[in-house]
Amino acid sequence: MTGKPKIGMYWAASCGGCEIALVNINEKIIDLDANFDFMFCPCLLDTKKRDIKELPDESIFITFFNGGIRTEENEEMAHLLRKKSKILIAFGSCAYEGCIPGLANLSSRDELFKTVYLDNPSIDNPLGILPVPESDVPEGSLEIPRFYDTLRTLSQVVDVDYFIPGCPPEPKQIWNVIELVISGAALPPKKSIIGAGASSVCEECDRKKSEKKIERFYRNYEIIPEKEKCLLEQGLICMGIATRDGCGALCPKVNMPCTGCYGPPEGVLDQGAKMVAALGSIIDIDGIKGLEDANIIEKIDRTIESIPDPSGLFYKYSLADSILKRRTLP
Amino acid sequence: MKTAVYFCNCGTNISDKINPEKVEDAVKKKNGDVIFKTFGFLCSEEGKEFLRKDIIDNAVDAVVIPACSPRDHEKTFMNVLSAAGVNPYMMQMVNIREQIAWVTEDGEKAAAKAVRYINAAISRVNLQEPLEKKEIDISPDAVIVGAGPAGLKAALSLAEAGRKVTVVEKSPTIGGLPVRYEEIFPNMECGPCMLEPIMGEALHGDASGNIEFLTLSEIEDAVGSYGNFTVKIKRSPRYVDTEKCIGCAECIAPCPVSFKNPFNCGINDRKAIDFSFAGALPNVPYVNAGVCLRFNGRGGTGGGSCRLCIDACPVGEEVFNFGEKEEILERNAGSIILATGSALYDCSKVPSLGYGKIPDVYNGIEFERILASNGPTEGNIRTSAGEEPQSFAIVHCVGSLDKNHKDYCSGICCEYAFKFNHIIRNKIPSAKIYHLYKEMVIPGKESGSLYRHAAEDKNTVFIRVSDINGMTITEENGRKVFSVKDACGSVGGIETGGIRSGVGGAGERNETGGEIESGEKISVDAVILCPAVVPGEDMDRLAGILETAKDKNGFFEELHGRTDAGRSKIKGVYLAGSCHSPMDIKEAMNEGMAAAGYVLSGLVAGKKLSIDPISAAVEQERCSGCKVCIGVCPYKAISFDEEKEASFVNELLCQGCGTCAAACPSSAIKANGFTDGEIFAEIGIMLS
Repeated sequence: MTGKPKIGMYWAASCGGCEIALVNINEKIIDLDANFDFMFCPCLLDTKKRDIKELPDESIFITFFNGGIRTEENEEMAHLLRKKSKILIAFGSCAYEGCIPGLANLSSRDELFKTVYLDNPSIDNPLGILPVPESDVPEGSLEIPRFYDTLRTLSQVVDVDYFIPGCPPEPKQIWNVIELVISGAALPPKKSIIGAGASSVCEECDRKKSEKKIERFYRNYEIIPEKEKCLLEQGLICMGIATRDGCGALCPKVNMPCTGCYGPPEGVLDQGAKMVAALGSIIDIDGIKGLEDANIIEKIDRTIESIPDPSGLFYKYSLADSILKRRTLP
Repeated sequence: MKTAVYFCNCGTNISDKINPEKVEDAVKKKNGDVIFKTFGFLCSEEGKEFLRKDIIDNAVDAVVIPACSPRDHEKTFMNVLSAAGVNPYMMQMVNIREQIAWVTEDGEKAAAKAVRYINAAISRVNLQEPLEKKEIDISPDAVIVGAGPAGLKAALSLAEAGRKVTVVEKSPTIGGLPVRYEEIFPNMECGPCMLEPIMGEALHGDASGNIEFLTLSEIEDAVGSYGNFTVKIKRSPRYVDTEKCIGCAECIAPCPVSFKNPFNCGINDRKAIDFSFAGALPNVPYVNAGVCLRFNGRGGTGGGSCRLCIDACPVGEEVFNFGEKEEILERNAGSIILATGSALYDCSKVPSLGYGKIPDVYNGIEFERILASNGPTEGNIRTSAGEEPQSFAIVHCVGSLDKNHKDYCSGICCEYAFKFNHIIRNKIPSAKIYHLYKEMVIPGKESGSLYRHAAEDKNTVFIRVSDINGMTITEENGRKVFSVKDACGSVGGIETGGIRSGVGGAGERNETGGEIESGEKISVDAVILCPAVVPGEDMDRLAGILETAKDKNGFFEELHGRTDAGRSKIKGVYLAGSCHSPMDIKEAMNEGMAAAGYVLSGLVAGKKLSIDPISAAVEQERCSGCKVCIGVCPYKAISFDEEKEASFVNELLCQGCGTCAAACPSSAIKANGFTDGEIFAEIGIMLS
């Protein structure tokens, strides 16, 4: 036991990239250790759930909670860590807004199981066995956590104090947050998004921007974009305009369009809807002027068809936290 | 915040279907301490007084009025709020009459719906913010581009109302196209004579002191916005002083060089110093520096010393200024009127008709000049071989009503075609005239006479052709030959007028011409093509400078084609005459007057311009500079501040449409009166 404030990190429905990002603060991890008792992190440490349960309430100063709420276990841990933490931070895109796991909200649990356990070409499951919460085996009864139909974000399940966006959050930004806490400075108002800017990625992107009029969209493999010019103006659907800044515009810097992992900018309720509204406003306005209705519809259809997976593109990270949240269940 | 709901029964229009007591109970249940009052006719004088007094007595901060459409009485109630000392934008009307009472059968359902609407309005009005109108100083003056009928009429009307007007005309003369026409439909008036009183008044009349004519001038740039434009005008040198020259024309004959006169479509030559035509106003010749020997000394070395015109001038050397340079002038104006006119569709784009390749195939304006007594042939019609033509084909609808060319009807060509018919008949009584047309359009109460003259004329034949632009005109032995293989009817020399057409096959036998058989070859001495009216050539450049939108045919686009055809999409830039749509002189004159009306009613000297606060505003610190919004604004109200790296909205130009706020991907643009918060609150209750 030490007198240092406790800090923990939990991994719910996510890929593990957030843990890597934390470790990527590199030698600063020593400073972290000097200031905190890094006591809970299933990915790195051996602390168990029962150890957490035995702690007094609010005895963990900060918990970085990454991952969405996919299963009964995720939910149980969310409640437990809420209770035991003074400050609960939704860490990374999954906990904050659902991220890639949230895209599963376009399907039901049964559809997901069918795809994963029955139809998947790499699966050999002749008996068609699907996961069930309880199953009887010769040795007795086995339980696994219940799998929910809908992936929820952390704040849809428990009260969250702060949100750190990113898939994963940039190590520099993670350190900014930790450093702020160490400094003893006043913390931002509750519910704030921290470790990020308030504007959009364009703010940090050095590409030259001009008035936008897009003739057609290209997928990444179709063109090699010019180095200086705004990617969106070149027809690549760069989500930077509808994505919070803070990452340093890393993707556009290396000629890749932003995919939107820092979530919506301050004040934007629905990142995907905003992106669609913006694109609808800048697509080829002159080109359709004066065309017959049928030709306009055809042209619009052609444009829409050039985007093979609109929900996966516009809501790649934010579906579970959007106005839509999920597809209606059958 | 104290919120009050004033429910209007609208007599029985609303209360017959929606029970106010039931609504009151439900609304109060949901909204606690909200004030709820009901009145018979809230828009009546008693109703307004009740509203005013009640707002004051209860110290109400925000008002919801379930009543009629806001299009009916929003302004009425906003004024009452102002009178009660409450900001008029702290109000939300709920249209429970048109949208509920009149369209919902069941009273219970109607009441439930009304409750939901009212609750939504309460949730919204509680988030609304007081908005203030702003006022700015303006210039009542105007810049008018184009000195044709529309521009002249606008200039004169504004000048007579005491406004200062600058008329920018790119040619050396004023009057536009009609001064090139000897006679004008429908009453065969002389073009220059008809315009003379207006031009004379504008140049020398009582109000002429308010009009500045800048000929040989073009708009170079325009900045600012409605109420305060600064217009840069490039004036090319005339080399002859318009004040000192007396217009005696002594200088012209001695001039040793000539060039194709553009004013006569290049049909004849003019001198390097000359008038555009006899009677041109201002009555001062101009020098074409491209050919004048003083600029092109013998051997093309420039700096020539020819002074034959100077020596011939009875006034003296001071009339000439060969050192004159191009000038950039600046004028401030609150409004700009575009009256730049139109041109004819290039007939060579229908190559099968032979224009530009076969002699004696003219377009409408060329033939106008041939007919004009001040034109290249002094009004005599002669073929290229120097003979009087005995037969004519007048081809209507050239490049018109055809999606491969222009898909519209210009509406004036048939009328001038029959005018040509009339003039030809007077000049060459025995001439045979064929009218080839796709559709005949002769609107207007005065147009019947010229048409009847043609229709009743024994030597005039009407042939309806389904594909005018598919016709081929060839030259055989000096004659112009065409076949009307796709003729769908012909008539000639009939007594009663009227055209039988569209019935397929042959038409009616007539005394002189006989029946026109499909596929029959007809030969004539001259062909006159009447092409579609198209935008003038300088329009693209001007549209670029003023950022005015163009329609699919390249004409200036109106704010609204019917209700606001005199306004462009840029506030304070008005449209008059054929620069936005083909039209005749009468319409152009009316439009000039209408544009003057817009200027007079919009901007009044000494009065400030008040700006509606329902506009968009950029939160610049949140703007990332992605520039999505700039092209989205239909009113060009958004610009980019390079220093702050953020967009900003010119409140004066903003019409509050909200397009930019919807498009802004980082929600850095706020639509006053329609914020995301207000809209979501409203929708939230509606869908709860």
